[in-house]
Amino acid sequence: MKNIIQTKLTVLVCLVFTICSCSDFLEEDLSAQLTPEGDALANENGLTAALVGVYSPLTKTWQSGFETAATQGILMGGDDLTTHKASNKSDFREFDQFNVAQQNGRLPFIWRGAYKSIQGSNNIIANYQNATGNESVINQIAGEAYFLRAYNYFWIVRLWGKAPILLNSQVYDPENLTMSSSPTEEIYAQIISDLEQSISLMQKLKPATGRASQGTAKAILAEVYLQMAGWPLKDTSKYAMAASIAKDLIDNQDEYGFGLMDNFIDLWPSETINNDGNKEEVFALNFSAVIASNSNSAYGNAARPGELGGWDDYFSEIAFFNNFPDQLRKEITFQTELPDGTPWEQFNTGRPYYEKLQGDALTWRNSLSLPLERMAEVYFNYAEAQVMATGDSTDPDALEAVNKIVRRAYGLPLNTPDASVDYTSLTQAQIVQEKAWEFAGEYCRWFDLTRLEMVESVTANKNPDDLQPLGEIKYYMPLPARETLVNPGLNNY
Amino acid sequence: MKKKQKSRVFLPWHLNYELKMRISLLLFITLSFAMQANSSYGQKTKISIDKTQATLKEIINDIELSTDFKFLFITKTVNLNKKVSIRVKKASIQNVIETLFDTSKISYEIDGRKILLKSKEINNDLLVNSTQTVEIKAEPQIIVNGKITDANSNPLLGVNIIEKGTNNGATADFDGNFSINVEDGNAVLVISSIGYISIEVPINGRTTLNIILEEDTSGLEEVVIVGYGVQSKKDLTGAISIVKTEDYKDQPVTRVDQILQGRTPGVNVTNSSGAPGGTVSIRIRGANSINGSNEPLYVIDGFVGADFRDVNPADIESMQVLKDASSTAIYGSRGSNGVVLITTKSGRIGKPRISFTVRGSISNSISEWDLLDAATFAQVVNERAASFGQPAKFTQSDIDQFRINGGTDWQDELFITGYGQEYQLNYSGGSDKVSYFVSGNYLNQTGIVVNSDFTRFGLRTNIKADLTDKLTADIKMNFNKRETNNVNGEGNTSGALAGPLTWAPTTPARDENGQFTILDPTSSIKANPLESAYNDNISEVNILTANGSLNYEFFEGLTLNVGYGLSYSNTQNKDFSLQLLIDTPSASRSSTESLFLQNTNNLTYKKTFNDVHNLTVTGVFENQTRKIDGFGTNASNLLYPIFKYDNLTLVEASSSYAIKRKETLLSYIGRLNYGYMDKYLLTASVRSDGSSKFRGNNRYSTFPSVALGWRITKENFMQNSFFDELKLRASWGQTGSQAIGPFGTVTTLATDENSGSASFDGNTLLPGIVLGNPGNSDLKWETTDQINFGIDMQFFNNRMGMSLDYYEKSTKDLLLNTPLPLYVGGGIITENVGQVDNSGFEIGINAAIVNNDNFKWDATFNGSFLKNNIANLGDLDEIFLDGSVGGGITNMPENILTPGHSISSYWGLNYLGTWKTSQAAEAAQFGNVPGDSRYQDINGDSAINGDDYMIIGQGMPKATYGLNNIISYKNFTINIFFNAMTGYDKWNFGYATGIMPNVDAREVIHVDILDRWEAGTNENSNIPQFSPTSLEEIQSSRFIESGDFVRLKNLSVAYDIPKEKLGGLGIQVLVSGTNLITWTNYKGLDPESFSNNGIGDSSGGDAGSYPNSKTWTVGINLNF
Repeated sequence: MKNIIQTKLTVLVCLVFTICSCSDFLEEDLSAQLTPEGDALANENGLTAALVGVYSPLTKTWQSGFETAATQGILMGGDDLTTHKASNKSDFREFDQFNVAQQNGRLPFIWRGAYKSIQGSNNIIANYQNATGNESVINQIAGEAYFLRAYNYFWIVRLWGKAPILLNSQVYDPENLTMSSSPTEEIYAQIISDLEQSISLMQKLKPATGRASQGTAKAILAEVYLQMAGWPLKDTSKYAMAASIAKDLIDNQDEYGFGLMDNFIDLWPSETINNDGNKEEVFALNFSAVIASNSNSAYGNAARPGELGGWDDYFSEIAFFNNFPDQLRKEITFQTELPDGTPWEQFNTGRPYYEKLQGDALTWRNSLSLPLERMAEVYFNYAEAQVMATGDSTDPDALEAVNKIVRRAYGLPLNTPDASVDYTSLTQAQIVQEKAWEFAGEYCRWFDLTRLEMVESVTANKNPDDLQPLGEIKYYMPLPARETLVNPGLNNY
Repeated sequence: MKKKQKSRVFLPWHLNYELKMRISLLLFITLSFAMQANSSYGQKTKISIDKTQATLKEIINDIELSTDFKFLFITKTVNLNKKVSIRVKKASIQNVIETLFDTSKISYEIDGRKILLKSKEINNDLLVNSTQTVEIKAEPQIIVNGKITDANSNPLLGVNIIEKGTNNGATADFDGNFSINVEDGNAVLVISSIGYISIEVPINGRTTLNIILEEDTSGLEEVVIVGYGVQSKKDLTGAISIVKTEDYKDQPVTRVDQILQGRTPGVNVTNSSGAPGGTVSIRIRGANSINGSNEPLYVIDGFVGADFRDVNPADIESMQVLKDASSTAIYGSRGSNGVVLITTKSGRIGKPRISFTVRGSISNSISEWDLLDAATFAQVVNERAASFGQPAKFTQSDIDQFRINGGTDWQDELFITGYGQEYQLNYSGGSDKVSYFVSGNYLNQTGIVVNSDFTRFGLRTNIKADLTDKLTADIKMNFNKRETNNVNGEGNTSGALAGPLTWAPTTPARDENGQFTILDPTSSIKANPLESAYNDNISEVNILTANGSLNYEFFEGLTLNVGYGLSYSNTQNKDFSLQLLIDTPSASRSSTESLFLQNTNNLTYKKTFNDVHNLTVTGVFENQTRKIDGFGTNASNLLYPIFKYDNLTLVEASSSYAIKRKETLLSYIGRLNYGYMDKYLLTASVRSDGSSKFRGNNRYSTFPSVALGWRITKENFMQNSFFDELKLRASWGQTGSQAIGPFGTVTTLATDENSGSASFDGNTLLPGIVLGNPGNSDLKWETTDQINFGIDMQFFNNRMGMSLDYYEKSTKDLLLNTPLPLYVGGGIITENVGQVDNSGFEIGINAAIVNNDNFKWDATFNGSFLKNNIANLGDLDEIFLDGSVGGGITNMPENILTPGHSISSYWGLNYLGTWKTSQAAEAAQFGNVPGDSRYQDINGDSAINGDDYMIIGQGMPKATYGLNNIISYKNFTINIFFNAMTGYDKWNFGYATGIMPNVDAREVIHVDILDRWEAGTNENSNIPQFSPTSLEEIQSSRFIESGDFVRLKNLSVAYDIPKEKLGGLGIQVLVSGTNLITWTNYKGLDPESFSNNGIGDSSGGDAGSYPNSKTWTVGINLNF
């Protein structure tokens, strides 16, 4: 009987223990996962998806990038933008009053988006040469990766001055957690190198309205040189380089698919036509508000008055509006009264609003394109660089570049000289001021003021009723708190 | 029936001690079985005995040893030492009995395997051809007849009845009837039976007695289910709390968490959402893990990792909470957070029993916010505008109109009366081979907030069968369907319940067409709270669980149990939101199925050597697979919003996704229980777990434990002590936590549309990929070391008991999500760094305060005291956690992890009240004026900013208490149950939203604003004035409040209509009130509920969480 029991026992135990002793029982099932070790970027399709992932961090609503009023916020040191004096706008006020805390909630948007985008660029740059597929498509993708890496560093260097340069951040390396910031010069050197690389790889025409092309890279390169000519590097030799590249782009703008729109109003969305993808968009982020996290929220409610259901995030300073010359462009740029006729002086905030940025409906969830670089800016950059490089304030090409835009501002045909509005000579200051009117509330006033060290003088001319600086005026932003928490040695001063 | 270890007891009727190990050489017994369903064991069992001059004791014992028959009789009536000769071959048990005993003197009854011997004449011994002399007693005078039943009126057989002070006794028959002759009418009967509390009944001249015996639940013989086995309660060495059915049977519990709340020391149950079927947080001995779940492991009928929501409380037979490492280490890598063992009911042999319960309930919110009426609000808005130099928003005639017509009371719009109904039907029974328990239940509850409800259907079938004498099988099947809508209450500032604190009372709830108002022109930027409330968040969970096991006994003591479990669940989520603000009605659907398989093989050997060494050895091999497959679609801009989630084709845009995951676990388990003389107890266990989530050498981990117990009352020197029981326990062990999901060790690319997608044409959303968090191939388990010291005491004749436990837990190699800087791509990397310590003290007291025939008062009290502390975070000094509790209203991380503090620490400015007039100069340094908010300037730079943030509170209760009273008087039972939580802070985001303007609300709505600082008249107020220079910071100690509360959790009265009046039908009527009174200083709606989208183990943030309700329940229970 004992034997029988033992046999039974043995059989049962063996049975039980063999049920699941397959050797791969504990292997992790990765069949539905995409891993970098796999073939994620091995072909054209993978690179295309990866490229989408390079643009994506620049458009992640409420997370990272340029698509919220945080972009207007971080540029609020300029005289064209201000915010509500009370309400819930303390983050914005910190920018307007040069008193930005590391913990400011709007501070990390661009930093976060730019570096995540850089990580994606690095991944493409590391992999595209071994990928299979149509070579010109792959080169275009690689060129955009180089371009975006440069463009992201350009924003970082202008806002923070010094910052870490990562060219292989697609691979996690614990050493990076203790690295330090690179000096401004090195960042610019990297930007120029990447832009040159991207110009050599990309096609002349954009593959889609929301993507970059050779022309885009050239426009940005000209702007980079212009920026380098001013504070803090003050390398005035760069004016000539800026002028030469901008000139080339202007002269061949049709080849690149660029040009100036005939009417200023056609640059902005209206209820009937949104004008997205127009030829003046040199670089514009595109959105599909199908998902909330891919919405252009810099436009829309953020720019509307609270009386109409808007959020009062940003609007014009009083002096800036008052100094703005009376012209068609001013009417298009600003909302100066409510539908019931209430004039802006009686708005709750007592300021005119940027009508051109209000979008086409009362919503924060826009699919409208967000132009970060317009052809008009290339014209201005050219004019300024040319005047500064030659020292000739009557350089005819420079004058014509600015006058086209001035004529348009008055609703005149832009290619027909008109003595009533045309400049006959132009100083750098005049060009930059004209640029301020054209790009009011857009993305260049603060950078013009800093590179020309004009912030103090412009701020001194503020209307006394506008928000005033709290303490010393600072040209650079502090690093977001998270960065120094993890890497306490990191700084940008 | 298999042979069981027979317990050593000292009751006189029990024969069967100490001999059962011996095998008689003179006797052999052959058994043959006929396996027919309707034949009784007694009829089919044939016995062969060949024995001369053996004592009756030996023969009976050998029959018991070799067959399943069990003899029941009073030792005094049977002379066990009588020598007998017997020789039968393949005889029936009747033959054997009639041969052994003189049937003229004794009678016998056979019920299945039990043989009841009764003396026909109580004073005679049983004699068979014997010359044995017998002591003759005087003939007693009075015959007393009676019947003995249990509390449920079921007859108790074999109960021992002895006339006190004599040897005179009798035994109850199968119907519980007995008859005894006693000396006179003053005699006292001592009635005793195993498992029941012995009582003494004075006859007082009566000749008929109906006696009810109460089950002895505190008895030392109580069997407790432990992991992978059972143990006698007296032999326990670990810290295990037993939740008794009696403690809550008169309360209308509908969920398992309601049973656990306040009833067990060391267990803290918090309803984060008070909605029916809402989320609940359960912590056993604090929280160990920062990244991982801190919810305990649930083991239901042996299924490891089950969901407690699948169990209908009425089906629960027993529930144990395993707390220390010696009890939880057997669950190895999943035991860190404690284990809750639930066993569902089985049928019992006997007549079918049917029970039907119906209950109805009505609920209301326990409190409401104190908010401004429309007219006052409008005035306040104007006053604020004036303070900022802005024009008035409301004209005087507006205000007058509001004064006359009122405005919108958003709370009235949102809060409604909730109703509930519940039906329970179960029946059970069994023959000697098969028993069954079947139950069905239906529960439907509507919440106290519009459009929130919970429905549950359940069906359970538990069957147990003896296939052969050695082989038993059981199967438990449970189907559960749960449907919930909006029960998690969103809990953040965008949720409906935050709405009344942001939406102006001057704004109508609906427009003239009855449609929800889209925009609040005055205050809120969020959606109309009614719109939010009427959005659907439906979850339909269908679960079918089946587990069956075969139990085979090779020989006495050695059993193999092979169990298979399968749990299949399908979850359907249906969401719809109107999104009027952006005019984008959206919906989503998802279907997720999960399959959970378990195979457990348990080999147990149990034996007592030399009567003093009790040994149980258990070996288990177990494997589990859990697969999840799902997909879903999100759609926006529905062309026909009326279809909600039911038509996702007629939409402007949609996107789909699929998920697939698999986890496997392979485990080897061993345990040894050893007891010497019932005095010295040892438990040692080890479990080795291998998991698919880890790699290489980290794949397997081993979790050992050891525990010692000393029953001091078993020592000779304690024989006459004050204590009925005194036991010391000590244990140490290790447990683990997986804390991460699959794929933690590999870097993957994120492919979901929220991570990587973008548009190149302003229209189509293109799929994109971005790098996800870097994987860390070196990850391993979190390991928790725990030591526990405990004392169990019983005194006052077991009327009072007390258990004390002290523990220290230390969880190291925390699987911590270390944030990465944004410049390397942000995100996190999971690493094994850091250590969290928990230590605490627990006390449990139970007392039978009054114990009379008609009046009884039983009380249990428990208290738990916890200290939670981060010991280290590896190289990091601090980690900040961003939650979404504050929605957009907070800019800084809301929680901080830093050594020396609780893992639930709040981060913010220290609010010092308002600047007083005398402090004007100092205030000016900060750009403030008197009446402005004043904060502590930690770094002394005369500016208030991020450098001045500090820890301003913590959300983990340091103490929890429960006090349960069961008072019965005749047929009434009253249950009074209090629970309390103290020593924690709530972060009252809701109040903050109402009392200060912020990103969500531009105006102030809470009435406290009327008491704000005012120069000259109200300068003591710490509510700042309206001032452009005042920094109003939500992340400050101004909004941190103590959450301490004491709550009358339950008050119920049950009345049992006497059975005699209803011809044997048992009816109980119940009236019960839940959450009737809450004593607290907390300004929010409910100090218990919190926003469940908090982070880490932060349980104190309250940004519009769903409050608990005050509920009245009426119920009727019928027993047939």
